[in-house]
Amino acid sequence: MNPSEVEALLEKAATQFMLGENAETISTLKLLSDAMLPAEATALAVELHQVALVRASVEWADEASRQRMERGLDRLRQMLGASEASSPAGNEPTAKVAVAATTSSALNQDPELVGDFILEAREHLQTVEAGLLVLEKEPANPETLNAVFRSFHTIKGLAGFLEFAKIQALAHEVETILDLARTGQLVMTPNLIDLTLESSDFVGKEVERIETMLHGQNPGQELDPEALLVRVRAVIAGDHSAPAPKVEEPKLSAAIPLEPVREATVPEVIVETPVPKVVEEVTAAAPGEPSDVKNKKAVATDTHAIRVDTAKLDYLLNMVGEMVIAESMVRLDPELSGTKNTRLQRNLNQLRRVTEEVQKVAMATRLIPVGTLFQRVNRLVRDTSRKAGKMAEVELVGEDTQLDKTIIEELTDPIMHMVRNSIDHGIEAPADRVKAGKPQSGRVQLKAYRQADHIQIEIVDDGRGLNKEKILAKARERGLIGEAVHLTDSEIFQLIFEPGFSTAEKVTDISGRGVGMDVVKKQIQKLRGKIDIQSTPGAGTTFFLKLPLTLAIVEGLVVGVGRERYILPIFSVHEMFRPAEGQVSTVQGRGEMVMVRNQLLPLIRLYRSLGVRPRNEDASQSLLIVAETEGKRFVLMVDEFIGKQEVVIKSLGSSLKNTTGIAGGAILGDGRVGLILDLEAIYTERGLKAQIIKESLLTAC
Amino acid sequence: MSTAALAAPTRTKEERSGKYLAFHLGPEEFGIQVLKVREIMGIQEITAVPHTPPHTKGVINLRGKVIPVVDLRLKFGMPEAEYSQRTCIIVTEVEGDGGAMMIGAVVDGVSEVLNLSPADIEDTPDFRGEVATTGLLGMAKVKGKVKILLDIDHVMTHQDLKDLGQILS
Repeated sequence: MNPSEVEALLEKAATQFMLGENAETISTLKLLSDAMLPAEATALAVELHQVALVRASVEWADEASRQRMERGLDRLRQMLGASEASSPAGNEPTAKVAVAATTSSALNQDPELVGDFILEAREHLQTVEAGLLVLEKEPANPETLNAVFRSFHTIKGLAGFLEFAKIQALAHEVETILDLARTGQLVMTPNLIDLTLESSDFVGKEVERIETMLHGQNPGQELDPEALLVRVRAVIAGDHSAPAPKVEEPKLSAAIPLEPVREATVPEVIVETPVPKVVEEVTAAAPGEPSDVKNKKAVATDTHAIRVDTAKLDYLLNMVGEMVIAESMVRLDPELSGTKNTRLQRNLNQLRRVTEEVQKVAMATRLIPVGTLFQRVNRLVRDTSRKAGKMAEVELVGEDTQLDKTIIEELTDPIMHMVRNSIDHGIEAPADRVKAGKPQSGRVQLKAYRQADHIQIEIVDDGRGLNKEKILAKARERGLIGEAVHLTDSEIFQLIFEPGFSTAEKVTDISGRGVGMDVVKKQIQKLRGKIDIQSTPGAGTTFFLKLPLTLAIVEGLVVGVGRERYILPIFSVHEMFRPAEGQVSTVQGRGEMVMVRNQLLPLIRLYRSLGVRPRNEDASQSLLIVAETEGKRFVLMVDEFIGKQEVVIKSLGSSLKNTTGIAGGAILGDGRVGLILDLEAIYTERGLKAQIIKESLLTAC
Repeated sequence: MSTAALAAPTRTKEERSGKYLAFHLGPEEFGIQVLKVREIMGIQEITAVPHTPPHTKGVINLRGKVIPVVDLRLKFGMPEAEYSQRTCIIVTEVEGDGGAMMIGAVVDGVSEVLNLSPADIEDTPDFRGEVATTGLLGMAKVKGKVKILLDIDHVMTHQDLKDLGQILS
């Protein structure tokens, strides 16, 4: 903690104590005593913490504790003021030591700086990757060249500052290549782009190693940039003797262990690029000065965003949630809600509007554009299509669509998997495509857009489409469906989400290794999303993903059972009603059933599943709710319906998080905690419960 | 001395000395290390969680965070008591398997903060194996009264402490 933060805490404690906010004072002082202050100050902070504790619990302590606290805080201020004054002199020698230190000691000394470096380097690597993929199509795009150059330059600078020598050396050499390309002395051939991509991969891996070291773990084997360095230097050296690709190409292809497919595709692309012309264009378009102006602009826009610790954000969200609750409690207070004072009413309304706005903005802080995820698809399509000997282009739509950061992170693997599948199974080989009358190069499209309170993501390919017969045959072979069963198209397509299902005839390097679509489906469901498929033979396949905007909030139905309130996620509720006479019946061997729209559904008495005393046990006096999870429908019996509310899902903590039937907690409108039900578990547990009760009754007899 | 070693195997008296928050359950006085205490709050409505042991009273909202609350009387196998004005929830921060976590402890009331010197602390007496003493740091004699010093990390993260109640009878 830095001195200004400590000072702020100190002032906060003083104010809180003065205002008599005992609980708050105690926690602030606890923070202070944990803040790694000089020993003497820590001792004092601990003492003050105790003073606050006593005052919170013992009435008579008030006057004495106030004096003690005032004197203590004053002394603490003096102490810290003094230590601050002495610190600058003490800092200088350590700075000198740091210069001489090795990589690992930089890690120890400044973990925060290194953490920033990791974040920043990753962002730049993303820019680099995206940029290089653009350069593959337009090798002389000056803006992109500049952007990639700048990113490597920044990485080099930061790595140099923190003494990550390998990254620095490699970034330096790559920067030279890019500089040559920027000034038109070199053309970014596919080979050069490969080399630059490999370099950025190397930096990425090295950053990963640094991260593991930062967390105090063993990063594994060291990486050696030497081979890459040699190749990069060769390009730079080659360039001075002769311009453009002729010289470097043989050298490179000798150095890179190219796969046959690659060799076949690479010359093709080169033919498409009119090399000499590009060189001319570049020299004409980039005289040097304007690019610097752009450089500055880019830096300026960067400052509009700052990095915030997610823990801080979560805390902010918690506090905003509390504020909303406090606001509604004030507004709904009988003394205020019945007021005739129009000014007060107006002010209360204003307060409500502002609170709502604050809540909305706070919630939005967790949302990030889906573009970061889509960018990675670019690279993936490039690499997999090359490996599979296919040609494919990517089209991204709606990259600005915002989605919760956690969802985007959890979505990465499934989407990568589906795109890989699209290329490996969907897109045909170029020759086959031409035969089928399609363009030689396949197309994979990623679309994201908002639809009401959901985000829809589509993964579209124009490949051969899913083969219904093959899927059916495979499903029969595996015994997933009977011989005579008739299924609709969409039901057939859903079969590919069954565990261990793969129609790939041969296991390739890319897919068919068992990590199947079932994992994808599970992951999507975990995110409370849905996945659907549409496919037309010969024309392609589309995967539709429907996802919630954020995982943090769920729209809930608040119901009462006995004296407790529970929250049901609204997406699993179909309808609710008061039963008519005779609608509930007991079926021999299957327990209680309810007839709903000509369908007999099992009845679960929620009070029984949860072990709560209900207000009444008569089903006809209760409220019945038709719910559905994982395709199973059932009816829940509760005492009353209280309301509909959007709630922020909170964990119950490590000791309670595995409680059967409970998915989490949420703060309700009155500040109390409500439990969010895990309907899936309640459904699967229902039989067991009845069984146990029966058995215990039997043994009691 | 061997039994004392069993009761608190790794802690010397010096390590156990320091500030303790004193609270009571019925007639008995207890102490927990002040450094483990986050805050003290009055009793409030607790949301019961199904399928949990009786001593887990449920969860409360601690400024936007949901934390579990344990009734120490029930945890120690003592008779349940009505909650009153003096009933408190001591919010503790304990080390569990999954790192630090906050747990509230319902007690009959808090009394004071004690500053215990090594000389004030005695090892847990030998109960001849009839009583589990692992949740205890030791005993303190203050102004002629015995206070039981709890190892709150252990108390909050272990299930079976019913026997502790027997020490009290």
